[in-house]
Amino acid sequence: MAAMKSRGKFLAWFVIILGMLYFFLPLLATFLFSLRAKLGVLSFKAYINVFHDPKFVGNFTYSILWATLTIVVGILLFVPTAYWVRLKVPKARTAIEFITMIPFVIPVIVFTFGLVRTYSQPPFLIVDSPALLVAAYTILSMPYMYRAVDIGLRSIDVRTLTEAAQSLGAGWGTILFQIIIPNIRVAILNGAFLSFAIVVGELVLASYLVKPAFAPYMATLMQNKAYEPAALAVISFALTWACMGIIQFIGRGGEQAQVGGGH
Amino acid sequence: MRDAPKARPARPQRSWAWLGVMPFFLFTFLFLLYPSSTIVINSFIDSETGKFTLQNILTLFKSPYILGAYKISIQISLITAVGGSLFGFLLAYAAIRGGLPRFVRISLLTFCGVASNFAGVPLAFAFIALLSPTGMLINWIKAFGYNPYFHGFTLYTNWGLSLVYMYFQFPLMVLIIAPAIDGLRREWQEASENLGASSAQYWRHVAFPILLPSLLGTTILLFGNAFGAIATAQALTGGQINLVTIVIGSELRGDVLGNRGVGYALALGMVVIMALAITGYTVLQRRTERWLR
Amino acid sequence: MHSNKFAFKLFALLIVATFILSACATPATPTTAPVVTKAPVVPEVPATSGTSVKDIPQSLIDACKQEGMVTIIATPGWWANYQGIFDTFTSLTGAKLNSLNENAGSAEELEAIDANKGNTGPQAPDIVDVGYAYGPSGKADGYYQPYKVSTWDKIPDTLLGLPAKDPEGYWTGGYYGVMAFLTNLAVVQNPPKNWADLLKPEYKGQVALSGDPRTSNQAIQAVFAAGLANGGTLDNAQPGLDFFNQLNQAGNYVPVIAKPGTVSQGATPIVSEWDYLAFGDKDSFAENPPVEITYPSPTIASMYVQAISAYAPHPNCAKVWMEILHSDEGQLAWMKGYAHGVQQADLEERGLIPADLAAKLPASSAFSGAVAPTPEQLAAAKKLITEGWMNTVGVDLPTPVP
Repeated sequence: MAAMKSRGKFLAWFVIILGMLYFFLPLLATFLFSLRAKLGVLSFKAYINVFHDPKFVGNFTYSILWATLTIVVGILLFVPTAYWVRLKVPKARTAIEFITMIPFVIPVIVFTFGLVRTYSQPPFLIVDSPALLVAAYTILSMPYMYRAVDIGLRSIDVRTLTEAAQSLGAGWGTILFQIIIPNIRVAILNGAFLSFAIVVGELVLASYLVKPAFAPYMATLMQNKAYEPAALAVISFALTWACMGIIQFIGRGGEQAQVGGGH
Repeated sequence: MRDAPKARPARPQRSWAWLGVMPFFLFTFLFLLYPSSTIVINSFIDSETGKFTLQNILTLFKSPYILGAYKISIQISLITAVGGSLFGFLLAYAAIRGGLPRFVRISLLTFCGVASNFAGVPLAFAFIALLSPTGMLINWIKAFGYNPYFHGFTLYTNWGLSLVYMYFQFPLMVLIIAPAIDGLRREWQEASENLGASSAQYWRHVAFPILLPSLLGTTILLFGNAFGAIATAQALTGGQINLVTIVIGSELRGDVLGNRGVGYALALGMVVIMALAITGYTVLQRRTERWLR
Repeated sequence: MHSNKFAFKLFALLIVATFILSACATPATPTTAPVVTKAPVVPEVPATSGTSVKDIPQSLIDACKQEGMVTIIATPGWWANYQGIFDTFTSLTGAKLNSLNENAGSAEELEAIDANKGNTGPQAPDIVDVGYAYGPSGKADGYYQPYKVSTWDKIPDTLLGLPAKDPEGYWTGGYYGVMAFLTNLAVVQNPPKNWADLLKPEYKGQVALSGDPRTSNQAIQAVFAAGLANGGTLDNAQPGLDFFNQLNQAGNYVPVIAKPGTVSQGATPIVSEWDYLAFGDKDSFAENPPVEITYPSPTIASMYVQAISAYAPHPNCAKVWMEILHSDEGQLAWMKGYAHGVQQADLEERGLIPADLAAKLPASSAFSGAVAPTPEQLAAAKKLITEGWMNTVGVDLPTPVP
């Protein structure tokens, strides 16, 4: 038994290290390349150039802000929906799952211009408003957020929890916010990570809705500069890590909260 | 004497429940389905005459080049979905249940969150910087006197692209399946050991069946993720690979006159394939969940 | 734990409140192109027959000031030194420059016009800069409005064998580029001089295109040009496909889409791209790495045209923009970006090209053989190349590696 356990541990370390190597090496290659801005010498010139550009910080914080709003809207929309589907309306599941996968197959250009066409004329003239941008981003992150929440709900015994809470006199709001959400905290967190990635990396929509987002800025840089894009990739990686850390911090304490396991 | 009428379940109860999912349907209708309805409409409009036509759809079936694009897109999506699922699952399981220190789990999850940000052109470039003929890793290997590129290795194939795709498939899998693995109670493993089951038996009869619905759900997500991807493929092997997303781009976004109608029809085709995939997935799901009720 | 949940809820509520408040609030401010903080760049040009920006009617400029903004699309500042034109515009009118998707393709630009038909906001493009084929096609689709700039007569009727302007003024040719090779000398010591050279074994895995041949004007023209060198004509792009087939079989073709990063990294050390982009890259590299630019022969030239959107929310600013493009200053700005302005011959005649600029520009004899395809020839070539590409250069799933 002990030998099996330690063999298991060895395999686990092996897999983890293999994974980490796979993730880390391309980053290292990018980083080393970004140091070549000065001929023949390793230097941080590319980084200095990036930091000197006033658009960099502005665009990045802008994108972070919208990512945060998108995450919140996503939670408020998808958690209750997924919960309700599991609990009360399982027949809706197929239709809903199909809808959540549609953002993958709609070309982003079609989606963007569809939104522009629909919402740039009175009486629905909201093409300028941040609300449309957040709604669009929520749609784009929907496949990931919904799936994360759905699997999170699958991993706890929703029915028992609900019945127990109800028998104690809890209303739907309490059940959702004080019972369900804390129990799927890890799932929500991970969905939030993915939504963040989608929003910050989103290129086309922000550009056509005239918003100073980060990804179009990065794309332009990639087209006409050699070393700065690599530096930018490394910097944004570090900044994103910080953001992930903050998101983790806000939602911490998840992995212990396991009230009942079941599917 | 007539029998007393049977008690019927009160009808209104069912329709009230559907109200709960109305916000979702309303939101997606307003901001996804209606704006994207041009996909359906424009697929049936000839881009030159503006008249109704079935020609765009027919072109999909008549052109071997387009059929080839669908084939390759589906192939790569399937391979990276299944491969990504497998290794991603192993990673997640190792970090969560592998008996490793706590920091491994947190680091892995955080890192996966960050890695999922790395996509498109920067990701393709990172792998080029690593594995191109002048790439970092190739240079290291060359230092030992062996040049992989002289022996048939190249990054620029479908396999190379799949390798790069894994960079967002693995984290996706890890992040989404983690809660499911969390949900596997330790007591079950201990109980099965007490009953004399080996690790393999525990897996086959307890853990795997429990996880299967979640695994299926994540795999279909990975499939969709790869199926709709374009930027990475275009940057890495754009000059050589035939993906549906790239063909759509050439018709709808290019610099040289494209055929809008065909572009939209191609996208409609993708929607149909997705619908088929979801249907297949739902059928599988129902079977795996049957015993869990 | 309880306070944790509460904090989370409070945070969420605050965010939602912000969102709701901002949703009711002001329209977005348009992005401005990077503002260069130096003195206004309106180059000194001797007052001639109304060809300077100073000759643009003040009424037009005032009307533009009223409108306050111009929206451009697919026009980055580093492309043929458009930045010079940006600076001229902003210093002349003080209006905001709103730049949409700098990396858009021509089809997308027209799609943007179409999608914003009723919209007077900053999402609607005023001006487009599109590949030549989109001049006539955009006009046919009704996306443009006619405007003849005051220097209309200075624009030649034909250039490279093609009309350089629409007779009714719906679109106007602005500049053209010539297909050239850019070679990273740090990786390739012996740069290729011509198409046939590319097939040499020494260039194994080194030859790339700067775009996807199915989408990008540049890439298709490269295939076209290769075909011309291989016995083809402008009506028949098949030899171009055959050439790339040979290139691929020889293992010389690398399918990565070349960017400055991949050129300097060494993954795509030999690129076929427009000469003005190549020269721009050379300046940007600043010898790190050192590069060489050569013109193959025969080669292809391609004109880019500009047009005012039929639905432009700021037509006067759009007109000022067009005037600038065809003023001496505008043409010189493009030439500073190494592009060949359509009025270059006229400027040369009047001796308006500064000596230092003339010295940097390649001699026109280097690409005197350049030809340009008509839109019909281009469309036929695109169809052929797009469908044939997978048979010549395509990658299918190889048998699994053992």
